[in-house]
Amino acid sequence: MSHQEYKKWQCATCGEIYDEELGAPDEGIAPGTRFEDIPDTWMCPNCGASKSDFAIYVG
Amino acid sequence: MSNLVIPNELVAPLFVPSTFANRASVEGMLARLRKDYPLSKAEVPGYDPHWIVTKYNDVREVSRLDDIFHSGDRSKTVVSQVAEQMMRDYSGGQPHIFRTLVHMDKPDHTAYRDVTKDTFMPQNIAKLEGSIRETVRRYIEKMEKFGNEMDFATEISMLLPLEVICTLIGLPKEDHPMMLRLTQWFLSYADPDLCRPGSNITDPEQQIKTWQIVYDEFKNYYGAVIKDRQGCPRHDIASIIANGKVNGCPMDERSMISYFVIASTAGHDTTAATIANGMWTLAKDPELLTRLQADPSLIPGFVEECIRWTCPAVAFVRSAAQDYELSGRQIKKGDLLYISYLSANRDEEIFEDAHVFKADRKPNRHIGFSYGSHICVGQHLARLELRVFWEEIIPRLKTLSMAGEGKWQDSEFVCGPKYVPIRYEFN
Repeated sequence: MSHQEYKKWQCATCGEIYDEELGAPDEGIAPGTRFEDIPDTWMCPNCGASKSDFAIYVG
Repeated sequence: MSNLVIPNELVAPLFVPSTFANRASVEGMLARLRKDYPLSKAEVPGYDPHWIVTKYNDVREVSRLDDIFHSGDRSKTVVSQVAEQMMRDYSGGQPHIFRTLVHMDKPDHTAYRDVTKDTFMPQNIAKLEGSIRETVRRYIEKMEKFGNEMDFATEISMLLPLEVICTLIGLPKEDHPMMLRLTQWFLSYADPDLCRPGSNITDPEQQIKTWQIVYDEFKNYYGAVIKDRQGCPRHDIASIIANGKVNGCPMDERSMISYFVIASTAGHDTTAATIANGMWTLAKDPELLTRLQADPSLIPGFVEECIRWTCPAVAFVRSAAQDYELSGRQIKKGDLLYISYLSANRDEEIFEDAHVFKADRKPNRHIGFSYGSHICVGQHLARLELRVFWEEIIPRLKTLSMAGEGKWQDSEFVCGPKYVPIRYEFN
C-alpha cells in the first residue's frame, strides 16, 4: 500500500499553516493527522477562523 | 458572579493616555480588574458605559464574533461623548475620522482586506528576507558608528520598521521622516514628546482635531501618489492600493486614503514598539542575552514573547449589534465593549508565570496581533523583521545594559517605549 504524502493547509484569513506531518500538538492534534480527520469544530489556532477557511497551501 | 460596576477610581485611569506611561501601574490595574471585576462595567463620567473585557477567552470571543461585535458602528478607541460627537461632525456623521480596515465590518472589511491580503501572506513575505536583512545590517552598522551609547528607540527601532514599510509602499526615503511624524501625531496624540506641536493635550477635543489634521496631511500627500500609481503602476503596495478594486469598483476616497494611513502607521509603529521593548528587556537581563547567544534557536520564541510582552495595540472598542451572553453577563444590543489585548496577554489562567518574560514559553498563543478576521494583516512582516533583527544583533552584542531610565509613551491606544537609552559593545 503506498503512503499518501502529507499535505499543508493554509488559513485564508491569517496565513497560518497546518502541516499534516507535524499536526498541532499544542491544540491536541497529533502529528500525522490528516486535515480531513480534524473535527469540523476545530478553529485556526492563530485567528479563530473555521476549518472551512483553510485551503491547500500553495507555497 | 463578581461585581457588575467597577469603581471609577480603579477604571477611569484606563481611559487616560498618561496612565500608560507607567507600565507597572497599568499591569497592576489590569490584574486587579481580571481578578475582582472580570467582564464588568465602567461608568466613567463623560463617557458612555463600557464593558471592560480583560480575560483572554472573553477577548478572543468578542474579537472572533465580528458579526455580533462590530468595529464600524462606534469609535474604535475609547473617546469621550464630546469627542465622538466631534468625529461625527467632522466626518459627515461617521463615528471615525478614518475608515481603515480596523474600522470596517463585513462585507466591506473582507473585500478591502482582500486587496492586499496576498501581499502579506507568509510565503510572499518570506521573499523579503534578504532585503530586510541588508537593511537591518545597515542599522547595526549605524549603531557601531554611533559609539557605545544611544537612545535605541529614537535612533534605531523607530526608523528601521519605518524604512521597511515605506520602501514596500514605494515612498522615497526623504518622505520617511514625515511618515514617522504623522504616525506619532496620530497614534501618540497625547504624548508630550511625540504629539503634534501646538496641540493642547489636556483638551480632549484636541485629539479629534489632531486626527482630522493628520487625515488631511495624509490626503494631501497620498493624493499625488495615488494619481501617479493609477497612471503608471509599479511593483509596490501603493500601486496595489491605488488600483485596488472592491467588489469590482474603485475604493471611495476616504477608504483609499485610510488604507494608506493604516499601512503608513500601523505598518511600523507596533513593530518599532516591540523591537524597543525587546531591547529594553535584554538590556536588563544579561543572562537572557547569554542564553540567546548560546542557543539562537530560541530567537523565534523570544520574538513571540516580545510580542506578548509589549502588546503595542493595547485595546480596541467594539459595539454589540445584538444581545449576547458572554461569560454569564447579558450584553445588550448597542452596548460598548473595551477589549484589552494587553490584559488578555497577561491572563494568569492562560499563561503560566504570566508576569515573567520567558523566551522559551511554549505554547505561547498570545493575541498581540489581535484575533478573528481583524487579526493584523502585517503580522508575518512584523515577525520577519523582528526575527531578522535579533538574529543579526544578538551574536554581535558583547555587552548590553541600560544607560538610564526607559520611558513608555503616554498612549492608551497604541503604546510602546519612546526612550530606551542603552550602553553596548559589539564583538
